[in-house]
Amino acid sequence: MTSAVTIPRHGGTGERTAVAARARQVVKAYGSGETRVVALDHVDVDIARGRFTAIMGPSGSGKSTLMHCLAGLDTVTGGQIFLDETEITGLKDKKLTQLRRDRIGFIFQAFNLLPTLNALENITLPMDIAGRKPDRAWLDRVVETVGLAGRLKHRPTQLSGGQQQRVAVARALAARPEIIFGDEPTGNLDSRAGAEVLGFLRRSVDELGQTIVMVTHDPVAASYADRVLYLADGRIVDEMHQPTADQVLDRMKDFDSRGRTS
Amino acid sequence: MTVLKTSLRNFVAHKGRMALSAVAVLLSVAFVCGTLVFTDTMNTTFDKLFQATASDVTVSAGGASDTGQTTSRTGKPPVMPASVLGTVRGVQGVRSAEGTVYSTSVTVIDAKKDKLSPSSGAPTIVGSWSGNDARTMKITSGAAPKGPDQVMVDKDTADKHHLKLGDDIGMISVVGTHHARVSGIAAFEVTNPGAAVFYLDTKTAQQTLIGRTGVYTDVNVTAAKGVPDDRLKKDVAAALGHGYKVRTAKEVADANQKSVESFLNVMKYAMLGFAGIAFLVGIFLIINTFSMLVAQRTREIGLMRAIGSSRKQVNRSVLVEALLLGVVGSVLGVGAGVGIAVGLMKLMSGMGMELSTDDLTVAWTTPALGLLLGVVVTVLAAYLPARRAGKVSPMAALRDAGSPADAKAGAVRAVLGLLLTGAGVAGLYVAATSDQAKTGSGWLGLGVLCTLVGFVVVGPLLAAGLVRVLGVVLLRVFGPVGRMAERNALRNPRRTGATGAALMIGLALVACLSVVGSSMVASATDQLDKTVGTDFIVQGDQEFAFVKPEMVRQIKATPGLERVTEYKILDADLTTPDGKVVKNGTINAADATYAEDVRTKTVAGRLADAYRPDSMSVFEGFAKEHGIKVGSTVTVAFKGGRTARLTVRAITSDEVVIDKGAMYAAIPTVAKYMPADKMPLDQIVFATAEDGQQAAAYAALKRTVHADPALNVRDQTDFKKALKDQIGQLLNMIYGLLALAIIVAVLGVVNTLALSVVERTREIGLMRAIGLSRRQLRRMIRLESVVIAVFGALLGLGLGMGWGATAQKLLALQGLKVLDIPWPTIIAVFIGSAFVGLFAALIPAFRAGRMNVLNAIATD
Repeated sequence: MTSAVTIPRHGGTGERTAVAARARQVVKAYGSGETRVVALDHVDVDIARGRFTAIMGPSGSGKSTLMHCLAGLDTVTGGQIFLDETEITGLKDKKLTQLRRDRIGFIFQAFNLLPTLNALENITLPMDIAGRKPDRAWLDRVVETVGLAGRLKHRPTQLSGGQQQRVAVARALAARPEIIFGDEPTGNLDSRAGAEVLGFLRRSVDELGQTIVMVTHDPVAASYADRVLYLADGRIVDEMHQPTADQVLDRMKDFDSRGRTS
Repeated sequence: MTVLKTSLRNFVAHKGRMALSAVAVLLSVAFVCGTLVFTDTMNTTFDKLFQATASDVTVSAGGASDTGQTTSRTGKPPVMPASVLGTVRGVQGVRSAEGTVYSTSVTVIDAKKDKLSPSSGAPTIVGSWSGNDARTMKITSGAAPKGPDQVMVDKDTADKHHLKLGDDIGMISVVGTHHARVSGIAAFEVTNPGAAVFYLDTKTAQQTLIGRTGVYTDVNVTAAKGVPDDRLKKDVAAALGHGYKVRTAKEVADANQKSVESFLNVMKYAMLGFAGIAFLVGIFLIINTFSMLVAQRTREIGLMRAIGSSRKQVNRSVLVEALLLGVVGSVLGVGAGVGIAVGLMKLMSGMGMELSTDDLTVAWTTPALGLLLGVVVTVLAAYLPARRAGKVSPMAALRDAGSPADAKAGAVRAVLGLLLTGAGVAGLYVAATSDQAKTGSGWLGLGVLCTLVGFVVVGPLLAAGLVRVLGVVLLRVFGPVGRMAERNALRNPRRTGATGAALMIGLALVACLSVVGSSMVASATDQLDKTVGTDFIVQGDQEFAFVKPEMVRQIKATPGLERVTEYKILDADLTTPDGKVVKNGTINAADATYAEDVRTKTVAGRLADAYRPDSMSVFEGFAKEHGIKVGSTVTVAFKGGRTARLTVRAITSDEVVIDKGAMYAAIPTVAKYMPADKMPLDQIVFATAEDGQQAAAYAALKRTVHADPALNVRDQTDFKKALKDQIGQLLNMIYGLLALAIIVAVLGVVNTLALSVVERTREIGLMRAIGLSRRQLRRMIRLESVVIAVFGALLGLGLGMGWGATAQKLLALQGLKVLDIPWPTIIAVFIGSAFVGLFAALIPAFRAGRMNVLNAIATD
């Protein structure tokens, strides 16, 4: 078993640690007794700041659960999770909500936008909720980066799937969260629209220094990442740096055959 | 069969979502069944009572009414000589006969001069203790009255007023005041419908009530064995000749029953009317529920269609669900209805009417009607949503969930709604400008109906507009949460419209009635100010509580009074110049000073002239109908007196509130045609103080009138207040009954919100994920609820005030001259509705806040 923990190093974004989030011995189990299912089995992981991390693994491997736990959406059965230096395991709902609002961004597979709000309102929603004024210059830059300048007044139903996901990306970026979590953000898109969205994510890491964690089962999507973590049966079984789509695909095939023979 | 199975499964799966609709059906059905069971039980109770108390044959004096009621305008019951008893005893087939005396126009007081009458309006009866009474009552302490200083009291009254043996009791009758001590207390063995009963021995009763012995009001006859009542009645009647009322036990019971029934029917239909309104409101709730269930299930229905279900099958499956809902709601409703009836009986017991649950009468028609109503209404209400479900295309299975707006239906709806509203407003306008009460009220009804339906139809459009305005006024304060609440309320205007409309109906009625009631008070006050030239009004608190002659003498002797006017009402048949006979009319006889006391406007002649000898006045409508002019002669046949030919000297205006439809004549004129002992007692006495003596005179008059606690003396201020209180009480009762409809409407708001929350599970999850706190989420839902409630209130109050104002304009023909909008009530209702909105959101907001973020996101 490979541990995905790196030795903490300082640098990157000033005096902050180079690790944006970390998990220590995280266990997530559902049910009890004979029906107990362990989704995460003592997972240790560090998410590097200013990097694009992909989490891969077959269905039921626990990759979504890991992301939900890291993002403070789900509670853990055991272990600790830190966002920067804040331990989020054990936080009350109120604090967690604030944390999600102020320090985390989300992009889901679908249904990212409120149908009653237009694109711009959706983008500024987290800041509106927090009662903060959006940073105008930053907002303009984000909007420009995702290429939505002409469609800010449109309602989600008037946008294509790709455009909707780009709005979701813009929303995640606009509040300048410490980490953006993406749950198969391109899962519902065709390859061209998907490539567009992934491109934006990549650029936001490279140009804006954003930290991104993305769950995916698409090798092409994973190839946009700096680092890929492989999950199987609730454990981190492998990782890969600077992957290409072919490498990822090979590794996946490898797991599949291993899964079949074992 | 599969249709039934899927319907059943859906019904069970969504039972939570159906619960509130079921409650709405339950409440409406329960109210209907409760009313029916209660009135049936009252009927049974009275039936038993009347059966038990009537003797085989009863002989009453000629002037007695069918129900044996002895009240008359003279304050004395009609009587017959004691010799009748001997005649009756001599008739073959009579086993025994007993003469009794009783009266219901006596004021009874205790030692502290407090009135011992039931507060419920049931009669106070003073009578002789007879064998007939002994059959239905049991003396629980003391003994039956003997001699002039003894009186026996029924137990309910004794308990209520804490009367003990030996307590002093005063009986104020037209003859005078008689004092006696409580000698015994007797309990009813049948249900006592609330009357307070006092027994004297026969001689004392005769003297106290009539002023002389040797007279009876009734003779109770018991038949010998084997003699049927009918034959006995015939024989007794033959022996007595004319001038008596002879009836069998059955006839007496039937007559009594009939009078009770007519009263109960009024109550029954009034309450059923309110139940009907609740049903109407419930329909909105059911429509909304099924629309939302269908919308939420669009993909599912699409799948059913895709794999081969026909439209009809889908349609039917929804209707079957409605049927199930109707059955469940109605069955529970029937049960709850019986509970309501029992509750009402307990309530009546608290008011002095002892009803026994042994008499609980549930006719088979009651549950049948309840079930039928509940099921039919539910299925009808679900028809439209079911049809919409049938129209879902198989493609819906593939599309993302979400209900696309139906733009075309919107346009049709807008046109239809505006047309209806326009027609309604036109109807109201015609009604307001109408100069004929009859045609006007027809237009009013049409206008009310059209505007109501129009508002309901156009509701969604109004919702879109009004909610935006409300958003600007109310919600912007709350920032993004307010904005989202506004958008949520706007996202499905049809739903918001229907939910608001349900609330609108109840509140419109409240607003309308409050405007009419308040205008009534204002108009009466206005007219009092303008026309009443007297200071004090002395009158009884019941129709047959008279100002007795002794009291009139004392009032006249009260210092500080400039003049005192007596006022009586006489029954008469009138023959008009056109040869028509108006049966059972009344003549208002007063002293000539009455023309100054109440300066009623005339359209012809001078009112003062009507008080000249052999003169009278008639009212405008009467004059028009019968072609009467000043100088015409009307033949007046006074009941109990002779026939007079009176000359019409004045025609009074119909645009009055006080004494509407009165025909005046002077007391001396009337006295010429009435024997002194048949002359009615004073209904009202007006007293006017000398200048500057008002306060002192009022105090003195109060002291004088205090001797008879059945009477009240009021100055103009108090009179206005009493009038206001009276109308206020009536309105409160109606508001209380309308509360049912409003409760159902509030359930509708809760229901809409609860279903919306379920529908927006993913959105809520998303918002929570990106940082919306629970508190903010709850506030958002509360604000949405408040907006819907306030929207409904605005529509309802606006509509109701329009109706009320129109009704006032129409009633102006009848003297309702002043439009008074009771702003405090209107504003209170408006603010109250906002709170209702907050209240309605409690549970949905709580549930939304408790939703697990992950589950919310994961919902598919």
